[in-house]
Amino acid sequence: MVSDLAAVLAVARKDLLQELRSRAATVATLFFTGTTLLMIAFALGREQGVLERSAPGVLWVALVFAGVTAAAQSFQADLEDGALDHLLSYPVSRAAVYLGKMLAAWVYLGVLGLVLAPVATTLYGAEVAGAGAALLLALTVVLGAFGFATIATFYAALTANLQAREALLPVLMFPVVVPIVLAAVRATESVLGAAVGPVGDWLLLLAGFDLVYFVVCASLFHFVVDE
Amino acid sequence: MTPPATEGAAARADAGTAPAVSLRGVVRRMGRETVLRGIDVDVAPGRLVVLRGSNGSGKTTLLKLLATRLRPHQGEGRVFGHDLVREADAVRAKVGLLGSYGGNYPVLSGRENLRLALSLTGKQRDEGAVDAALERVGLAGAADKQVRFYSSGMKKRLGLARQLLVDADLWLLDEPYAALDEQGKRLVDVCLLEARSRGRTLLVASHEQDRHDLVPDAVLELDGGRLRMAAFRPAAGATGGAW
Repeated sequence: MVSDLAAVLAVARKDLLQELRSRAATVATLFFTGTTLLMIAFALGREQGVLERSAPGVLWVALVFAGVTAAAQSFQADLEDGALDHLLSYPVSRAAVYLGKMLAAWVYLGVLGLVLAPVATTLYGAEVAGAGAALLLALTVVLGAFGFATIATFYAALTANLQAREALLPVLMFPVVVPIVLAAVRATESVLGAAVGPVGDWLLLLAGFDLVYFVVCASLFHFVVDE
Repeated sequence: MTPPATEGAAARADAGTAPAVSLRGVVRRMGRETVLRGIDVDVAPGRLVVLRGSNGSGKTTLLKLLATRLRPHQGEGRVFGHDLVREADAVRAKVGLLGSYGGNYPVLSGRENLRLALSLTGKQRDEGAVDAALERVGLAGAADKQVRFYSSGMKKRLGLARQLLVDADLWLLDEPYAALDEQGKRLVDVCLLEARSRGRTLLVASHEQDRHDLVPDAVLELDGGRLRMAAFRPAAGATGGAW
């Protein structure tokens, strides 16, 4: 068997290269998330308090939409030219394939979130009070992106061979991702000064959800891809 | 038809003497359709077996099953003594699959696709070997071009380069001649014969009837989900049921 770490890194590198080189898709995702932020800002109106309070929720809604698009694209590339059949016939554990794809999705979503967070807070007039708050916000984005990538990779594999996968992926995934989004939004609200409890508690809860989803998805992945 | 099994499962598990491929009563359904209906076959190591059959006869399904991409719904199968389901990881360490579409990643270059294959088969990264494989299949000049800009024939050549580079014990090739020009087809013939001379076992699904350069050890025909032998050349000194 190939070293699992080497396989994880090879698969992750392959997926990230695909994301970077599919410039049209990357630009479309960025444009889509930016447009989402703007549209919701317009819909909420000009009242500063409303915009400020909405910033955490809107940020995570935009990230979730972007994540679904990215996850679907990730497996689309594997399906072209029968590459997935080859990937799964290499002497590599299914868990390593899952981890590699999930790692790439995490990096992609994490970077996207780190770019989007300051844009959203600026656009919605939310205040990030100092370097400590900025670090906590970054940690929230990283943990939230991890949980989301964990679930998105699993469900993207589950729907990869279905005809209506673009429609089915969000339908199946969104109910499962609610705890992650809820904890991430509350943590973000805490960082931005809303009185919803200590940020540490929400981050711990988010990390707990991440761990549970990670273990479950990695363990069940072979049931999803083995036909 | 396939010779009957002459060895027990325990004996077959001895990888030193086990057939390269051994299937017993393998049934596989795709949706509601039963594609393989009780396949029994033994293939001895070092043999070149051509698999024929009309479109939809189950050739690709059989190859995917041996590559552990699909599981049998009934029956059991072994590759070099390793069970297809219970020891799938060990089976995957023995097989190299070339799918009908080449199995390449379109946005990676030819060279990157081969490096990925090396990484995922646990082989040392060897740029010399990658270059040699690309040169061998006539893709040295397109090595750094993204595969999405390759023609169908070039994609198939790249798949062949991957087979040469990985050089698995059991080559599973699905329509290796499709989309290739005559020069490319001759290259496939030469590569297959060389692989056999190195002791590799080859199972080749193909519609090509007139590959005069390629003399297989056996020709199997899939028809209605059942396998029958169409031609057979006994191995020198072969004993038992395996070809």
